[in-house]
Amino acid sequence: MRLKNYQWVFALMGLVLGIMLAFQFRFTREIHRTESVQRVQELSAEVNQMRQNHEALQTQVNNLRAELDNATPLNPVLRDELEKAKVEAGVSELSGPGVEVTLSDSNINLRPGQNPNLYVLHDEDLLKVLNEINAAGAEAVSINGQRLLATTEVRCTGPTIVLNKSKRLAPPFVITAIGNPDTLENSLKMKGGVAEALQVWGIQVSVKKIAQVTVPAYSGGIKFEYAKAAG
Amino acid sequence: MNKSIYFSIALVSLILGLIVAFQFRTTSSIESGVPSGREQELTMEKRQLQKDITQLREEVDDLTAKLEEAGKGSSQATDAFTSELLKIRLYAGLTKVEGPGVEVTLDNLAENARPGGNPNLYFVKDEDLLKIINDLRGAGAEAIAVNNQRILATSEVRLAGNHINVNLTKLTAPYKVTAIGNATTLKSSLEIKGGLVENLSERITVKVEERDNIVIPAFTGELRFDYARSTQRG
Repeated sequence: MRLKNYQWVFALMGLVLGIMLAFQFRFTREIHRTESVQRVQELSAEVNQMRQNHEALQTQVNNLRAELDNATPLNPVLRDELEKAKVEAGVSELSGPGVEVTLSDSNINLRPGQNPNLYVLHDEDLLKVLNEINAAGAEAVSINGQRLLATTEVRCTGPTIVLNKSKRLAPPFVITAIGNPDTLENSLKMKGGVAEALQVWGIQVSVKKIAQVTVPAYSGGIKFEYAKAAG
Repeated sequence: MNKSIYFSIALVSLILGLIVAFQFRTTSSIESGVPSGREQELTMEKRQLQKDITQLREEVDDLTAKLEEAGKGSSQATDAFTSELLKIRLYAGLTKVEGPGVEVTLDNLAENARPGGNPNLYFVKDEDLLKIINDLRGAGAEAIAVNNQRILATSEVRLAGNHINVNLTKLTAPYKVTAIGNATTLKSSLEIKGGLVENLSERITVKVEERDNIVIPAFTGELRFDYARSTQRG
């Protein structure tokens, strides 16, 4: 009787110990899978440093451009030409009347079995809205402070979108466009238009006319590696 | 006998205590652990920043050299200004360019190949072109044109009846999208399994060809800015 009791205690201890060991093993395996924390911290510090560096260089470029503008002779025709080219190239900050378009994901409560992917904003929705804005004569466009260039792509990656190669934006997406506010608003809100089409999926499109909006310059380097000027 | 039981219980408790302590330590380090996705994200950002910084440095050097030149005299100043103007015009898409790239041809599905149903289904739509252009941009295309209409930041691609308007110019099928960039990257980004070409091929015909030299014309329309004014803040 006494001996039996003693065996029970050991069996119980063994069981608990075994479970503990198994847990321990699993956790250690997971630790191996997570990348070393230190490395990520280093990387993050490095990226922050580079961001500052980038910003400083960007300011320097802007200042140099302004200086060059002032240092060169006043030929109004050439000057006007450069000004226009800068607007189209997206390297100058602009302001003017326009609209602010806010897009946010669906507020519909999904029933089980419905595909949630149908009710979130996709890159093609953004493409359509941007295309509509261009068709309505927008002169300069940005999303969440990122200027749109002729080479800007819109990529949907999970809940965020990626623009200008690595600029990640999170919802809500605010498109700022300079142009005729009435034309811009009407083209988006017209019957059978893009806002109506998106509303089917519960995606909210709100258009606000604003007397003065600012569209920032492209913040990055531009360089063509493949395309060369042809005669 | 009694003593030995106490002894073994004490031993087991000791080991248990140690294990619990270890367990606690590892769990707390897991909490501050970072999933490897973040590392990937940071690496991607770092790579792009590196590229941007290099390009900005080049831009600084270029502008500094031009400024120096401009200080020498009025004819040098005009030269410096003209060369800056040419560079900005190149970025804006106001210059004819050439280089390696791809040619993507999109056409309505031939009538005998249609499985039936609404014939409109088998026409190239503006969305198809938009998606192709977006994919090419994502793959690093530097200049794009559709049927020789240069795509600018403000270009629209819009279905209007049986044709598609680009830069307010009517285009009709077949649509030839030309893009300058790394030809292999451009081609594979379109032809990736489950990608755009595979998707579109169910409705229309899509053909992607690499080219050693593609010429893309300048934007020919008039640039008019009635609303946008420069804030002179760069």
